[in-house]
Amino acid sequence: MAGTDYAANTDYSADSYFVPRAAPLVPSRLSRALLAVVRIGVGLLWLQNVGWKTPPDFGRGDPPGGLYLSASYAVSHQVFYPYAWLMDRFVLPNFTLFGWMVLVVEAALGAFLLIGLATRFWAVVGIAGTVAIALSVLNAPNEWYWSYVLMLLVHLALFATAAGRYAGLDGVLRPRWQESPSWLVGWLVRAS
Amino acid sequence: MSSNRRLARRLDPYRPLDRAAVALGAVSILSAAFIFVHGTFQIVQIGAISLVVALVLGLLAMAAGWLAEATLIVAAGVGFLLAAGVQILLLAGGSAGFLGGNPSTFSLWLGLGIGLIAIGLVPRPELAAQDTFGPD
Repeated sequence: MAGTDYAANTDYSADSYFVPRAAPLVPSRLSRALLAVVRIGVGLLWLQNVGWKTPPDFGRGDPPGGLYLSASYAVSHQVFYPYAWLMDRFVLPNFTLFGWMVLVVEAALGAFLLIGLATRFWAVVGIAGTVAIALSVLNAPNEWYWSYVLMLLVHLALFATAAGRYAGLDGVLRPRWQESPSWLVGWLVRAS
Repeated sequence: MSSNRRLARRLDPYRPLDRAAVALGAVSILSAAFIFVHGTFQIVQIGAISLVVALVLGLLAMAAGWLAEATLIVAAGVGFLLAAGVQILLLAGGSAGFLGGNPSTFSLWLGLGIGLIAIGLVPRPELAAQDTFGPD
């Protein structure tokens, strides 16, 4: 019985009468609470992670540090040639612009996942961010590739479960958005 | 609060929005604790002035949610966005400045600001609906 807290342990609907299946995940209050914990936890990780991306130089200097050093690993400890080429030719020479882009995107990622607003959209942004970070530092010293696989998987889970609908703003705003004819609000419905 | 008012409040369709505003205000007040946390587990950097911002705007958001005042909820959200804007401008200048925050503080205030504004801007037509049932 989707949408209630009183879901049966098995689903005996017409198409599955003879093959009992587990009830959907979402109706359980515990599952909703745990999804909220995962979303808020991931939001806080991004929020903390943006703390060391400090303007105005973002670590560009002698010796390099911070975000600049991490980004330069894409070239010095190459993971994927086209990405290394892109970083070498376009990103590193224009690093101030890139640094600001990273800061704004990661700050927004942490902010939106924390409050659970447009969560599915920001989960996709998190996947893109994870891939970019992995392509930069995967071969750098002392990196553990599982970190990036786990990051990728947790964002897939946030997307798949639309985690902002549980103890997030998507949960309280989405029903109102669904009544609106506006295309912008329609986009928010899809993003939540 | 009388039982009738309490019941009316419980049945209010906008109550989840107000509770969300209270929750976002509470997050801000909780973040003030990071003034005592340094090192690995410091999620946001809170200085003396940013402590005041977190407490004052957090209390405003909580009060606004408790009183179901959409205008005050938006005001608290705008306050957080202004604080986030000032913090990022100070960081662009090369230091934490008088607010004493870092990019994580900017991120937190950005989220609280956008969240409160999104809640506060939801149209609340209940007064018009009440007029419909009022005496002719």
